[in-house]
Amino acid sequence: MSTHKAPAPTTAGEQSTPLLSRLVEGLSGRYRSIPVLFVLGLIWLYFYSRNSAYLTSTNITNLSLQIVTTAILALGIVFVLLVGEIDLSSALLSGVCATVTAQLAIKSDWPLWMAILGGVATGLVFVLAEVLAIIFGVPSLIVTLGGMVILQGLLLVVLPPEFVINIGGTDFAKISSTYIPSGWAFVIAGVGWLLFCAARFRAHRERGAAADSSALVSVGVPAVLCGVVVFGAVAVLGEGRGLPLPVLILVAMLLIASYATSRTRYGTHLYAVGGNREAAQRAGIPVSRMVIYSFLVLGACAAVAGIIEASRLLAVSNSSGGGPLMLNAIAAAVVGGASLFGGRGTVWAALLGALVIGSINNGVQLLGLSTEVQSFATGGVLILAVAIDVVITRGSLLPNRR
Amino acid sequence: MPDAATTVERGELLLELNQVSKYFGGVRALHDVDLELYRGEVVALVGDNGAGKSTLVKVISGVEHPDSGALRVRGEAVRLETPRAAQSAGIHTVYQDLSLCDNLDAVRNLFLGQEITGGFLRGRPVSRHRMEQQARDVLDSLAVKVRSLNTPVGGLSGGQRQGIAICRALISDPSMVLLDEPTAALGVSQRAEVLDLILRLKSQNRGVLVISHDLKDVQEVADRVVVMRLGSKVAEFGRGEYTSSDLIAAITGAHEAPRSPESN
Repeated sequence: MSTHKAPAPTTAGEQSTPLLSRLVEGLSGRYRSIPVLFVLGLIWLYFYSRNSAYLTSTNITNLSLQIVTTAILALGIVFVLLVGEIDLSSALLSGVCATVTAQLAIKSDWPLWMAILGGVATGLVFVLAEVLAIIFGVPSLIVTLGGMVILQGLLLVVLPPEFVINIGGTDFAKISSTYIPSGWAFVIAGVGWLLFCAARFRAHRERGAAADSSALVSVGVPAVLCGVVVFGAVAVLGEGRGLPLPVLILVAMLLIASYATSRTRYGTHLYAVGGNREAAQRAGIPVSRMVIYSFLVLGACAAVAGIIEASRLLAVSNSSGGGPLMLNAIAAAVVGGASLFGGRGTVWAALLGALVIGSINNGVQLLGLSTEVQSFATGGVLILAVAIDVVITRGSLLPNRR
Repeated sequence: MPDAATTVERGELLLELNQVSKYFGGVRALHDVDLELYRGEVVALVGDNGAGKSTLVKVISGVEHPDSGALRVRGEAVRLETPRAAQSAGIHTVYQDLSLCDNLDAVRNLFLGQEITGGFLRGRPVSRHRMEQQARDVLDSLAVKVRSLNTPVGGLSGGQRQGIAICRALISDPSMVLLDEPTAALGVSQRAEVLDLILRLKSQNRGVLVISHDLKDVQEVADRVVVMRLGSKVAEFGRGEYTSSDLIAAITGAHEAPRSPESN
């Protein structure tokens, strides 16, 4: 009887909630990415209307390669933001890791995979040192700021005296210039899509009678949406030179990260630590260990991002990991919907944010506008995104939220 | 000093504290505190601000470690190093605040730290549907109404949040429940609901330790009242053996001479 009565107050409660607060609630939770997609659509529409070359498959391939580094770095930063910390050193860390890999692969003639492992290990060791200081009690802003300065020096130490290692023509350079032919790309996409549908269907069946929506809504709609996005992207990229390997690496990392954060106990604990550290501690969650895990993920992401970037630019030098990369990566994570206050946002924020920022940069360059415009636009979007984040998470529109 | 043991026959001795002391630097937060908690009884812990109630709760729930003294759970000496150790010893604590993650939904909050998960090789995926069913059962059994199990609890009302916090104690089916100021921030009807819930916990044959400021609550639900002042246990009353003024006197130390700990 009690189970029969339960749904009645539920629906009544939902109906009595004002539309506006339900809208804000939806946007802060499950549908957080919709405004970002909307902005992305506007950006694409604007540049396309100014220059129709913007949405050609060649340019989209370029764009996808340009954003991979930012997106992978942003993915690591999302993990750190989720536990309520911040990082400023990962871009330079990516430069150092890439340099170590290049040294091992080119100068020491190690096999490429061992050299890559060496780079990743460098990243992990450095972030471990940083995170130990953070757990000791030094604010992460300060630790990673100091880490950034140390890494600037470290980069000069690991570089050879001429401050540059060219990697053109080696196996290392092939990472970014490998394209998966259209046919294989469709096979990979198809397998991925089928797995997605199977997982959705299984989740739906497990719920059984408790499910409040039909199979069509909980399985069909996501499957169609996912199919359109995946096959559309593969078709567009396939028209050019095929699916770039770095994009495949990014997507694989995103999928693993998405599973880990949204389906596993680890993910729940990650969000709990970011949402209310005290409550997490009292619930028996090892808070320090969760922070360490997040930073280790960031270290690995930074290394992979650095290696891909080096392979795309065909060299490592004393400017590796410098420039606007760090701020772009943080901006991408925040623009995509990861909250600076911790505990909100999904790993897909990294991809969406990197797409927004990359699309602006790419469009500005395509139209031949000056760099100032690019800076103004990126900065403006960042501030706008954080303003939206504050309104949504702090809930200034809703009286009963904090 | 009245001895509560004479008043009722008791269930199993669940928790026993023996001469527990705790210092924060030079500050004596707890001094030689003795406390027993039996199955199927409600013990209220009262005292003024700074009397050491919260420290005692933290010691029992594994957040702080006593500097001296012994804790025994069902007669066995234990060291509660972490909150998780306390939970596995069957002690679950409901904190007045800071107990819910606003960014997580009701189900995730209910099962926080004790999720139902799958195998290690798949990265311990949470069994969402099983958790949802169990959450619905627990919430229904205490008549806690939540708009949706899938929205973050940050958007819920104070009463609903408190309901979820208390239901969380029942997920792991603990033998002892500690409630820290459970009625502090609640309205009249919600307060009655919580007192009802305390009696329901008692009728489920659990040991309940309630920390409260509200002497009316205490008189309504407690089988025994333990009074603390300045880190020491100064008095203990059985049900019906005291008046409000007795309590207030013990809390404030107004009649120090007849009720001093030395008379014990």
